[in-house]
Amino acid sequence: MRFDLKCGVLPVLGAAAFLCPGPPATAAAATGQHLEKHFAVNARPVVVIHNVANGRIEVKSWKNAEVDVLASQTSDKIGFEMEQAGDRIDVTANILDASAQPTELAANLQLTVPEETELQLKTETGLIYVEQVMGDMTLESIAGDVHLKEVSGYIIVRTTEGSLVCTQCAGKLDFKSISGGAQVLQPALTNVSLFTTSGNILFDGDFVRTGLYTMKSGKGLVEVRFSGNDSFDLKAQTTMGTVDNRAAAYLKPDSHGVLHRASKFTKGLFGTVGQGLAKVELSSYSGTIRILKRD
Amino acid sequence: MQCKDVEFVVEQEGLAPLPEAARAHVADCSHCQEFVADLATIVSAANELPAEVEPPARVWVSLRAQLELEGIFKTPVVPASGERWSWWHGFDELFRSRALATAAVGLLIVAAGFLQLRQPPDTSLEPNGIGAGPASQIAFAQTAKVLNDQEIDLRNMQLAGTSSVDTSAVDSSFRQNLQQVDEFIADCERHLKAEPQDDLAREYLSNAYQQKAELLSAMMDREGSLH
Repeated sequence: MRFDLKCGVLPVLGAAAFLCPGPPATAAAATGQHLEKHFAVNARPVVVIHNVANGRIEVKSWKNAEVDVLASQTSDKIGFEMEQAGDRIDVTANILDASAQPTELAANLQLTVPEETELQLKTETGLIYVEQVMGDMTLESIAGDVHLKEVSGYIIVRTTEGSLVCTQCAGKLDFKSISGGAQVLQPALTNVSLFTTSGNILFDGDFVRTGLYTMKSGKGLVEVRFSGNDSFDLKAQTTMGTVDNRAAAYLKPDSHGVLHRASKFTKGLFGTVGQGLAKVELSSYSGTIRILKRD
Repeated sequence: MQCKDVEFVVEQEGLAPLPEAARAHVADCSHCQEFVADLATIVSAANELPAEVEPPARVWVSLRAQLELEGIFKTPVVPASGERWSWWHGFDELFRSRALATAAVGLLIVAAGFLQLRQPPDTSLEPNGIGAGPASQIAFAQTAKVLNDQEIDLRNMQLAGTSSVDTSAVDSSFRQNLQQVDEFIADCERHLKAEPQDDLAREYLSNAYQQKAELLSAMMDREGSLH
């Protein structure tokens, strides 16, 4: 099933199936440019969204075996293209008029998907918000932030300057950015890789036993707040920055008999908390690395 | 003619048509029949492969940065202008050809895998710091040159197109982040000039090159789509 829709003709078409009488929250809604589409799916659909306009992509889940897409926009200079092929749903927002002003290029997408859904979302400046979705996901943004809440799976996030806030996430997380930061809060992640050139990194939560955690920032702050029950080996290194160890009371020499030493070019901190079951590697080029136990 | 002669002929001239002497030998030799049949199958299968697309430049830059980081990639000193083209220039030209780019990257990956297998385990731990020698620095310099060339191409693309969208938040974000990466690269390069064996700094420089390559690629894609 495939259809192309230029929103300039939407009022003429007036199809009730496409027009949404729903939430009138956004500025885009004020202009009345809405498009809603339902796609029946089987188990674990794959949803691919490419939003070249400015706007928010919001994804939430429900129990239904159906993907609901609600698009709203501020002008007819954006066209939505939607396609279903089996359990794959593609949604693309295209700019129809390259001379359009930025205010005319706002398009928000609101999706409701089955709980187990794979996502590939790509946007330029708007927020990506995903809540309570289980499945692998790749989320890309240039300047927009990415907020995840209660999601699980293999989560890949790439931004140029957008920041990531990941709350109560589970599974694996791979984040890369140039100037965006990352906050990982109350996670149940078994594998974490965070890299940013100049953004800050905050990890506030438990380290899963046997988990692997790598957090690197070129110029930003790397801060880890662990709990007294955690069990992990720590390796923290910086070339030009500083290591701010506020957890000296909890950090013991490595208990596994391997002698770690920082190279002569770096400042390093090595140790073990608890039995050292997880592995935590922190590094920076010139930023501060801070380790502390949370209250 | 013997089996090794047949192999030599095939290597030099390909499968068809085989010279008379080679055909006569193959007709009587089951080993060579199998050899020729296997090659024919491979060629046939290769012909059925779909046309490949050109890989983005960041693939090469990323691969190169990784090879440099691991101290595998060693490049000769760059000759002065006017000298005979080096193998590197040959590579550069190779990558300009869209048709050959994929094959060349494939070969590099195979070569990298081969070299990786031959690499002693974790040479970075060796006290003499083989991976951080002058060859590594030259390779980094070559990567920087490739990226600078790409940046010039991007500027030319930007000059060629005149769109109001160029002032958008996205373009502004790209420019600011490119500047940030450039500053970070300059910082790392300065540090590595003084401490060439600092592995952590080399890792950050390598990552920064990779990020710059990806950023330039994204900017060029955007320019292309806008104009």
